[in-house]
Amino acid sequence: MLEISGIDTSYGNLQVLWDVSLNIGEGEIVAVLGPNGSGKTTMLKSIMNLVSVKRGKIMFLGQDITGKPIHELTRLGLAFVPEERHLFPAMTVMENLLLGAYTIRNKKIIKETFNRVFELFPRLAERKKQYAGTMSGGERQMLAIARGIMSNPKMLILDEPSMGLAPQNVLAVFETIKKLSAEKVTVLIVEQNVNTTLTVADRAYVMEQGRIVMEGSSSQLQGDDHIRKMYMGIA
Amino acid sequence: MDMDSMQLFNIVLTGVLRGGLYALMAVGLSLVFGVMNIPNFAHGEFYMLGAYFSYFTYTYFHFGPISSILLAAVGTFILGAIAEKTLFYPLRKRSKKNWIMNTFLLTLGISIVLQNGAKMLWGNTYRGITQYWPGKVSIASFNISNDRIAGFCIAMVTIAIFWLFLNKTTMGRAIRAVSQDETGASIVGVNLNVIHTLTFALSCLLAGLAGAILLSISPAYPFMGVQPLYKSWFVLILVGMGNIGASIYGGLLVGLLETFAYMKFGSGWQDVVSLAIIIMILIFKPRGLFAKKGVKSVSE
Ligand SMILES: Nc1ncnc2c1ncn2[C@@H]1O[C@H](COP(=O)(O)OP(=O)(O)O)[C@@H](O)[C@H]1O
Ligand SMILES: [Mg+2]
Repeated sequence: MLEISGIDTSYGNLQVLWDVSLNIGEGEIVAVLGPNGSGKTTMLKSIMNLVSVKRGKIMFLGQDITGKPIHELTRLGLAFVPEERHLFPAMTVMENLLLGAYTIRNKKIIKETFNRVFELFPRLAERKKQYAGTMSGGERQMLAIARGIMSNPKMLILDEPSMGLAPQNVLAVFETIKKLSAEKVTVLIVEQNVNTTLTVADRAYVMEQGRIVMEGSSSQLQGDDHIRKMYMGIA
Repeated sequence: MDMDSMQLFNIVLTGVLRGGLYALMAVGLSLVFGVMNIPNFAHGEFYMLGAYFSYFTYTYFHFGPISSILLAAVGTFILGAIAEKTLFYPLRKRSKKNWIMNTFLLTLGISIVLQNGAKMLWGNTYRGITQYWPGKVSIASFNISNDRIAGFCIAMVTIAIFWLFLNKTTMGRAIRAVSQDETGASIVGVNLNVIHTLTFALSCLLAGLAGAILLSISPAYPFMGVQPLYKSWFVLILVGMGNIGASIYGGLLVGLLETFAYMKFGSGWQDVVSLAIIIMILIFKPRGLFAKKGVKSVSE
């Protein structure tokens, strides 16, 4: 479904990604793990053309999307939930969600998606009129994910969705990912929370210093010595 | 009514009528700053172009007042769109470095070109009309020309329609989204290029409309845009930059302040007194009267 082949990405003269390749099949949950500053966010931004790639190619649904403007990617069925959230602070929950459905013209589909989102996040349903800027970190993260779902995506890309969340909210986020996957949405997730991520993901890639250094099924990685030592704190 | 309350009534009435048009100008200026980060010093020239548009359509082509004013709005909208596509869009593509400073200089340049272009084309003369709608209305022994009342009503209706557009339509919501988080807006699928062009054109439309409405009160003239430009900047600085809703109150407030100063201290004093009051307010509220968290201030 998504195929990244050999991309290099730089910020100015500082090259951050080196020959990164990655593959995601339809309906899969794929995780990208790695220490802070290893280039995970940069890889997601490369997919979304928020930074431009120097070399390599990105295909989505058989179409070359390298360098395609981001608003067109949303129309192709890619939804991105960034680390910094990028919500609209002076708008209500309702308006943020409506904007999430910006690319959808059919009112009936929008209404159905609203119901689906409120079922996943009952807390948002209680706070339709609250301004996004006045919400707590956990609520804002829910809203960011919910806004991504509002575009009815074929593939959802999440950058550290559990960052800064209380444990019960972390659980809710992973539950949501499982539910979405059951609804045939493909998920690409970047996480620091390695233990929990490997229990929901089908496969994972490990990125270190801008390169993919390892890939495998979740169970393979859970059993790997390097992973256990570096990421799971197990000696 | 006794003398004092008569005078107060006169101040309020005149101030509100004047302020309504400042509001119209200020909303456009605020919109472009809030959405595009452009401090538009050519805003007054679109006001000027609006006045010329309606002057020519009204006197040469004999359109009615409403059609003349509407044509001026359409004309300035189109000119605004062209200006955005040919000047700001290429600049944005090239670099967003020092964006505010660069666009400030660019708008200053546009302003000078348009002023002198108008002078070359139409000469250094005043081109006005006596009245759109002949007649007066008496309110509590004050005579107010129909044009002032109509102008105020058109300004308020336009602002109301504009407010509904921003808050209740998908396109309007997208414009507000871009002003609050540009990356967020493009993530949900908003095409920033379309929104930027639309925003700039709408802002020019509001300025052009103001110039057209006021044609019988202030005639078309190449350099007529300078005063209203400064007035709209007073409003923006007073209420907080990029705060569209507050610009409406700010416009009315500046109109009232000016009328008050004019009537109490005589002509020539209106700018001094109203500016002094604005400066005093800013000493206590440096980010503007209605500054919201997360909204840009002058100092940023
Ligand atoms: N906008 C930027 N400009 C310059 N360098 C950046 C920028 N964003 C990230 N970097 C650098 O790129 C590297 C990778 O960052 P990032 O992709 O955010 O890593 P991760 O998401 O894995 O923590 C880091 O060294 C970071 O300092
Ligand atoms: Mg990151």
